[in-house]
Formats: sequence, C-alpha cells, structure tokens
Amino acid sequence: MTSKKNVLEVKNLQAWFGKFHAVKGVSTDYPEKSITAIIGPSGCGKSTYLRCLNRIHEEVPGARSSGQALLLGQDIFAPEVDPVELRQNIGMVFQKPNPFPALSIFENVVVGLKLQGIKNKAKLLETAERCLRKAALWEEVKDKLHQQGTSLSGGQQQRLCIARALAVNPPVLLMDEPTSALDPIASAKIEELMQDLKEDFTVIVVTHNMQQAARVADYTSFLMLGELVEHGPSEIIFTNPKQSKTEDYITGRFG
Amino acid sequence: MNQFKFRKVRNKLFLFSLSIAAVVCLAPLIMVTSFMLQKGAASLDLDFFTKLPVPVGEAGGGMLHAILGTIYMVTLGSLMAVPLGLIGGIYLSEYGKGGISKALRLATDVMTGIPSIIIGIFAYILLVVPFKSFSALSGAVALAIIILPVVIRSSEEILKLVPKHIREAGLALGLPRWKVILFIIVRGNLSALFTGVMLAIARASGETAPLLFTAFGNMYLSYSPMEPMASLPVQIYTYAISPFEDWQRQSWAGAFVLIILVIGVNLGARFLMNPKALKNFLKRSSS
Ligand SMILES: Nc1ncnc2c1ncn2[C@@H]1O[C@H](COP(=O)(O)OP(=O)(O)OP(=O)(O)O)[C@@H](O)[C@H]1O
Ligand SMILES: [Mg+2]
Repeated sequence: MTSKKNVLEVKNLQAWFGKFHAVKGVSTDYPEKSITAIIGPSGCGKSTYLRCLNRIHEEVPGARSSGQALLLGQDIFAPEVDPVELRQNIGMVFQKPNPFPALSIFENVVVGLKLQGIKNKAKLLETAERCLRKAALWEEVKDKLHQQGTSLSGGQQQRLCIARALAVNPPVLLMDEPTSALDPIASAKIEELMQDLKEDFTVIVVTHNMQQAARVADYTSFLMLGELVEHGPSEIIFTNPKQSKTEDYITGRFG
Repeated sequence: MNQFKFRKVRNKLFLFSLSIAAVVCLAPLIMVTSFMLQKGAASLDLDFFTKLPVPVGEAGGGMLHAILGTIYMVTLGSLMAVPLGLIGGIYLSEYGKGGISKALRLATDVMTGIPSIIIGIFAYILLVVPFKSFSALSGAVALAIIILPVVIRSSEEILKLVPKHIREAGLALGLPRWKVILFIIVRGNLSALFTGVMLAIARASGETAPLLFTAFGNMYLSYSPMEPMASLPVQIYTYAISPFEDWQRQSWAGAFVLIILVIGVNLGARFLMNPKALKNFLKRSSS
C-alpha cells in the first residue's frame, strides 16, 4: 500500500470564518485509489476542511484559508489555478442534499455534463442511468425521470446529489456524510459504491459512523477542534490508536 | 378547565377580528370590480372592440385604436425595460456587494417612489420637446421607466431567496459562475421571475399620467412610433370628463376592459408558467 503514488498532498491547511479559526493546520497525504475517512466531533471542522479542498470554502463571505494542497503536484491554491477547472477534478457531495430546483431528476444528474457542452442525448441518458444505478437510486426513479428532483425524499435527494457528482467523473471525490440521511440498505449500497470508485478514484469521506469508517476506509483521520489529532491506516486507528483522545472518541467516552 | 374555555373564547375572538380586518381589506377591491362589472359590462358592445371613434356628438364607435395603442406601447416599453431590468436584478442579487450595486439599489428604490406624472414630464422633456411632437415612442419610454425598477427589485428579491447551497452545488460541479447563475439559478426560478415581470407590466398598462404628455392620444389608428398614439387609460380619461353621454358610456366600457386586461395579465402570469396552479384553481372553482 505504501508504494502508491499520492494524488493529493495537503500541507498545513488552515481555514478561518472571519476571525474564527476553524481548521488549524492539517497535513495529510491521500494515495491514489484509496478511501480516507474523516471522523471527529460535531463542529470540529470536518466540513470546512473538505470544502477547502475544492475551494468552495472561499465562496463564503469573510472566509479564507492558507496552506497548500498539491493535486498531482500542483498546488490548488496557486494563483494560476482556475477553481472552475479544479472542481471538475475534485467533485463534492455536500452534507445537506441540494438538488437544483425546477430541474428534473434526469436533468439534475446530467446538468454538469450538459453545461460542459455535451449534447448527445444517448450519451446523457446512458450516463444518467449508470450514475443513478451506482447511487442506488435508479430502481426508485426510473419511471419518473422527468419529475422534479426536489420532489424526492431527503435520502433520495442525497443519492441524486451523489449521482450528479459522479456524472462529471472527477478523479477525486469529497463526500460529506453521504449516508447520514439514508436507511441501512441504501447506506450499504453507497459503501459498495465507494469500494467501486476506489478502483479508479480517490475518495475522502466525512462520517459519524465509526463502523462505516472502519469498514470502507483504508485510512482514517481524527479531527478535533480544528486540529488533526491522528491519521493512519484504519485498522490501526480503530484497534490501536496512538493518541488517548482518539481512543476516547472511538470508544464513545466523549463527543 | 375554566382556563381552557377562556383560552378557546379568546382564540375565537382573535380569529373573528382578524377575519373582519381581512374583509375590510378586500372590500374596496370587491366594490371597485363589481361596480365596474355592472357599469362597464352594460356599456360594452362589439363595436367597442372593432370600431374607431366617430365624430363628436354622434353616437357609436369604439376604442379599437386605444386598445391597440396600449398593447403597442406596453409591448415596446416592456421590450426596453424587461431585459435591462432582469440584468439589473441578476447583477444585484449575484454580485451586489460593491458601491455600484448600492447606488443602483438606491436609485431603483427612489425610482419606484417617483410619482408617475413626473416620469411623464421627464419623457416629455427627453423625447417630445426635441422632436416637437407627441409620440408613441416617448409614451413607451415613460412606461419603460415605470417598469424598470419594479423588474429590477422583484428579480433581485426572487433570486436572493435561492439558498447559498444551491449556488455552491453548481460551482462544485466545475461550472463557471455565469453558467451557474444563468442555467441553474435563473433557470430554476423562471416562473417566479416571469410572474414578477408580468406584475410590473400589468401595473404599467393601467398608467394614465405618464402618457398624458407623451403619447398624448388621438382618434384614429396609428402605428408610427413617432406620432401621437391613443391608449386605453388616456382615452378613458378624455371620454370620462367629456360632456357627451355616449362618450361617458364608452369610458365605462374602457375601464371595464382595462380592469379585465390587468386582472388577466396578473392571473395569466401566475398560471402560464405554473400549470399546476391552474389545475388546482380550476379544481377548486369547479367543486
Ligand atoms: N458559515 C460559517 N460562518 C461562521 N462559522 C462557521 C460557518 N460554518 C461553520 N462554522 C463554524 O466552523 C466550525 C466548523 O464547522 P464545520 O461545519 O466544519 O463542522 P463539522 O465538523 O462538519 O460538524 P458536523 O459534524 O456537525 O457537520 C464550527 O464551529 C462552526 O460553528
Ligand atoms: Mg459537517
């Protein structure tokens, strides 16, 4: 495993909301074709950290960040990097489902491709079906692809957003609690999807579900109060953590 | 138990007084429309829609020229104001932080508050004086100035209601900001934007004051933007203050048609882009 090339190397990443220091110097390497889980108590900065990696964080008024994140050796924060192009390579599933209003289920999935200029109907349909199947939603929506995306249930909307992110085919996918609104069956399907994705892609997933992290993630990061407490192979973090804080957290003694 | 009863009574009382207040609010609207319906419908005939005015003193004739004139000038004014207003509204909601936006926002607020007669005078000075003639064009410009700030503010408010996370989702797909704005934010709210535009147009179509010194009015059919043009509101006004009984009758008919036009545009705006609302409405009114 250690021989793998790093797709993403984060170095001393910091993030602020105004004066509030939300992420305080996180450094982690993400090997290609791996899944890394980020765990930690609510409010510790997991979402903020993830949102720095596709530069959505800087869209929040008053928010800023510093540090480096090398995507295949290129710092994503460098002035010459176009965030638009970057986000085609680092996709994201948000913590809250956010389907586009007034767009149909089908359009929601393919809107990214369509607006990138792909007009071929057959290809769009094929992509929509493939991505919806991967997101474990196809069976539920195949007969109503032209209904509005917002008409779905919360958990279905979340899977729709997963399908939408997959359609752009980004080599790195950030997932912020993708299964927190899902039932166990759909969750299991999404975990399966992550294992699938790992064949080609790199996945970073925030989760509050320790079993899930232990099941799917090759590596796990434990974040607390904006600081990276511990990072390592999941089997070590969950069975034999070096830090007592990590052990306290995963055994449920706090947080 | 006693307290529970007291609470129920108080609740009923409160609801009752609110209902009274609601009825009082509705009363003027109902009175105006029912009055117009009675007076106007009785005065209406087919000639009204198909004929031009006849010489003073003769009975008969209609307001075809004024109906067409209103449609002509409102359309022309909308063509000028609506695209500009939408661009302004999108700018304010999506990029509206700097000094330009503050100035634009203040200007639109002030413009909405300016009495429409002043806007008429402005268009008069701008277009009537230099060309030495009343004209449909100057009337359309006056209407455009009335429509513009309403469209700007309504579209800004509508787009501002779109939650931030929708914009973020668009950006996160690797789309440039302008595509997110046009094809996701604006596209996703077309029906609301359209309703706002139609309300602004409906308001402008009933305006008299801005047309008095601009389009002025005439008694025949005209399609030239550089000539005076009749409009329903001005024609109603002219006929209403005339001493001739038949003109007064036609004035009622005109008022009736104008009200129907404005209500029609209003309802049309609500239903055209939202067929579901129309279906619900029909269901409700048929059951
Ligand atoms: N838009 C914002 N403005 C100001 N502070 C914010 C904003 N968003 C988040 N924060 C703060 O930043 C900190 C980190 O928030 P973040 O959303 O990253 O937490 P999280 O680890 O994802 O929590 P959760 O598990 O509950 O999703 C919190 O203390 C939060 O209050
Ligand atoms: Mg979060």
